[in-house]
Amino acid sequence: MLKTSISPHIHSPQNIEYAMRNVLIAMVPALLASVYFFGVRALWLEIISILTAILAETLMQLLLRKPVTVSDGSAAITGLLVAFNMPPNIPFYVPVVATALGIIVVKQLFGGLGHNIFNPALVGRVFVMFAWLPEMTTWNVPLHPDWIRHFNLFHINLDSITSATPLAVNKLQGMSALVSQFGSKTQLYLQSFLGNTGGCIGETSELAILIGAFYLFSRKVIWPTVPFVYIITVAVLTALMGQDPLFHILSGGLFLGAFFMATDYVTTPMTLSGSLVYAVGLGLLTVILRLKSGLPEGVSFSILLMNGLTPLIDKLIRVRTYGKQSKRGRDHE
Amino acid sequence: MKHIKIRTRTFLQGGIHPPENKSVTYEHSIENLPLPKKAIIPLSQHLGKPALPVVKKGDTVSEGQLIGKKDGNYSSHVHSSITGKVTDIGPYYTASNVKSNCIVIQLEGEIKRMNADKPDWSNLSREQILQRISEAGVVGMGGAAFPTDVKLNVPSDKKVDFFIVNGAECEPYLTCDYRLMMEKPEEIVEGIQIIKKLLNVKKVFFGVELNKRPALEHIAEHLREKDNIELIALKVKYPQGGEKQLIKAILNKEVPSGGLPFDVGAVVSNVATINAVRDAVLFQKPVIERVVTVTGRIVKNPGNYKIRIGTPLSDVIADTGLTEEPAKIILGGPMMGPSVVSLDTPVTKGTSGILFLSEKEEKRVRYNAYRSCIHCAKCLMVCPVSLNPCMLSLQGEFETYDQMTRYDIMDCIECGCCNYVCPSFRPIVQFIKLGKSFLKKKG
Amino acid sequence: MSRWNELTKGIIKENPIFFIMLGLCPTLAVSTKVIYGIGMGIAATFVLIGSNIFISLIRNFIPDKIRIPCYIVVIATFVTIVDYILNAYVQPLHKALGIYIPLIVVNCIILGRAEAYAGQNTVLNSILDAIGMGIGFTLAITLIALIREILGSGTITLQMLGYGWVWEVPVKPMTIMVLPPGALLTIGILMGIINHFKQKEK
Repeated sequence: MLKTSISPHIHSPQNIEYAMRNVLIAMVPALLASVYFFGVRALWLEIISILTAILAETLMQLLLRKPVTVSDGSAAITGLLVAFNMPPNIPFYVPVVATALGIIVVKQLFGGLGHNIFNPALVGRVFVMFAWLPEMTTWNVPLHPDWIRHFNLFHINLDSITSATPLAVNKLQGMSALVSQFGSKTQLYLQSFLGNTGGCIGETSELAILIGAFYLFSRKVIWPTVPFVYIITVAVLTALMGQDPLFHILSGGLFLGAFFMATDYVTTPMTLSGSLVYAVGLGLLTVILRLKSGLPEGVSFSILLMNGLTPLIDKLIRVRTYGKQSKRGRDHE
Repeated sequence: MKHIKIRTRTFLQGGIHPPENKSVTYEHSIENLPLPKKAIIPLSQHLGKPALPVVKKGDTVSEGQLIGKKDGNYSSHVHSSITGKVTDIGPYYTASNVKSNCIVIQLEGEIKRMNADKPDWSNLSREQILQRISEAGVVGMGGAAFPTDVKLNVPSDKKVDFFIVNGAECEPYLTCDYRLMMEKPEEIVEGIQIIKKLLNVKKVFFGVELNKRPALEHIAEHLREKDNIELIALKVKYPQGGEKQLIKAILNKEVPSGGLPFDVGAVVSNVATINAVRDAVLFQKPVIERVVTVTGRIVKNPGNYKIRIGTPLSDVIADTGLTEEPAKIILGGPMMGPSVVSLDTPVTKGTSGILFLSEKEEKRVRYNAYRSCIHCAKCLMVCPVSLNPCMLSLQGEFETYDQMTRYDIMDCIECGCCNYVCPSFRPIVQFIKLGKSFLKKKG
Repeated sequence: MSRWNELTKGIIKENPIFFIMLGLCPTLAVSTKVIYGIGMGIAATFVLIGSNIFISLIRNFIPDKIRIPCYIVVIATFVTIVDYILNAYVQPLHKALGIYIPLIVVNCIILGRAEAYAGQNTVLNSILDAIGMGIGFTLAITLIALIREILGSGTITLQMLGYGWVWEVPVKPMTIMVLPPGALLTIGILMGIINHFKQKEK
């Protein structure tokens, strides 16, 4: 019996599962860094978020009588990203609510993978941020870790002291206070790059995120345009505003946002020029929110705002078709 | 080799590089396949209207005899490929999987051998050359099957500066053009001379992809300085064998939307077609056979075979053998070739390859279980004509075909790059074809 | 039978908020506590009944071209009555509802019923329609307020002027639910669920 189908009859092995699996692999360094710096509690946060995401996706798809596609790994990525965006000492119900909201409302109610306008993990994070502001803005750093207790799987309470994130210190007390806290400027850059600062569990270690990101570039899962343009825009704009650009790109959630959330397939523009506009917009919004708003950090909000602009960017910015004189769309609208 | 300058070029926008799989038949020189017992010769092997049959059931025809007369401008003559008796004229399955009219000839009697003298063609006038090409029923053998006499008969108001020889053969698996270049370089160069005279062009470019480097070097040995043929090495990239992409790669010019290559002063022709043109002009030999790559992991004796037009696939299988039941048979390359439903489907003038896929290879493509578009923009990156296949497939999915003109649907060359990379297995090209046929019907 | 239908259609089948999607503005704004929802519902219902009766009575005298200004004058009269009564007797509610009481004048439910129903029907039918629509509106706004208050403040407030009760619900209050995004989220999800079941019926 001969089968027949449309051409082409061969296919690239890079399907959805391939992309999602590689993103998960790329997040492993950041996960390890989070456990190293914030103890086993970070691991529990991540496990609980992932399980919530998988459960919520399965239940929603069963309820809406859709094929259950939880095995493609996109739900697990959402769960892990939500966990990465949580402060270390957060109560466990917070990531659960954030993940469930992201998966159920933002992803499945909009039609599932590919139909969501906003990044589910970020909406979840912003929702709980406004729901439980005190919990979400209390930052802890481990207190001289006792390594055996630190990595004991059942030692879920963190021995820690409350401390503001470098961005908050910079905002409230200025750069000099920050430098004296770390000893020297070099030390500040180094500790920020390695991840030994206060902040969300997955965002502090720029080194781990970069390792994962270069893995993704080598696998051709994401393209470096958006993250690098985003980071460069932030550096240039902070320098113009009289701030320390290196400090600004190494602290906060910029790297996590740039490499793992601003590169989400579904919610970013498709054309190259569109992504440039998107990335510059991200940098602009981040700098404005960091320096001119009441909040110390603005990566999540700027990515969500630009997510909302993505359909418009895709509609307005087009590429000239082969053999056409002008860009498309003009003569039809 | 020394006096030939080879430049490496390619087109920049889009393109993919699927696994080549050319090694299966790369080293197999061209062999003759035994004559088929029965030839099923479709009357429509070209772009335009089907040819009109000029023989009746029961007639005896000889090899090379005209059996179908061209009907209209873009049509072409059809000749009998074997000597025998016409047993039926009626609808049979052809490569497009719809039944269309074919002439069935049962093998009978003697086979004449072709006259081996090499006549001189330099005294022939332009009209005479075109007449011979037309009478031999030569069509583009790369796949599009555009009648060659129409293509080479450039209107007098258009000026043609360049003739481009297409030796790119960018489709995976296929090696028939490569073998032709390896084994018949002189014939091809002679064919190029004929076309050069016909078109009255100064400059000829000969584009060959780099994975066929031996062919490039082989051709170079047969070129003389005064031929004014420039060899171009092309980076391996699909769909470089497409006319528009080849022109972009070699001349860095874009054929205007809706236009033809001579709008930018170029004519493109495939090496197999050039070989057929030479045979037609020199020996007045009609197109009754062609080199076909029979390939696939499950073929016992894969290779490049000279097969008579009209040979049914079942005869090809009987001669080459298979190690297991094929799940899918593709006429042409895997990227653009159609898969057939019947083993009686005949080889036509446009068939460059026959690819047999096993059950396991077939299962890797799952268009029937396609999922939502995730806007990954991979299709935009590989599209060689800078379309937005993502939006086109969404419009097709929601059946809003009217909207598709806004995304320049008519400029799609249906190369299948977007389908190949789509991580959701969306049948993008199918949506585009549906939209095109809808818009054409609407006018 | 048809009279009964006039009364009940506004409660579920043609619920002004979930089905006709009118009057969303006050719904989103004041549904932070259950009692505010009920208060807003009662106030709007009073205006709705009053204006429906009056407009239905004078419907034959109103020139077609200036009917909307005429309706507004009638509605504004009743709104002013409600505004003054609330200010005089239920000061805390008046304070909580604030600008949204005067804004009942342009509440789409009232203007919509006047235009679509009272302007063409008899007085009795208009009263029944107004009562049904008023109850529907009150129920919908109370439901939204209930969800928002439980999630956002961890309480259920049914207390006004010292009468009634306040229940504590063991929920960690989510501040966002009493902010505008919480209202949009709640109403969106409720409408989604209702539409899901409505499509199933078809």
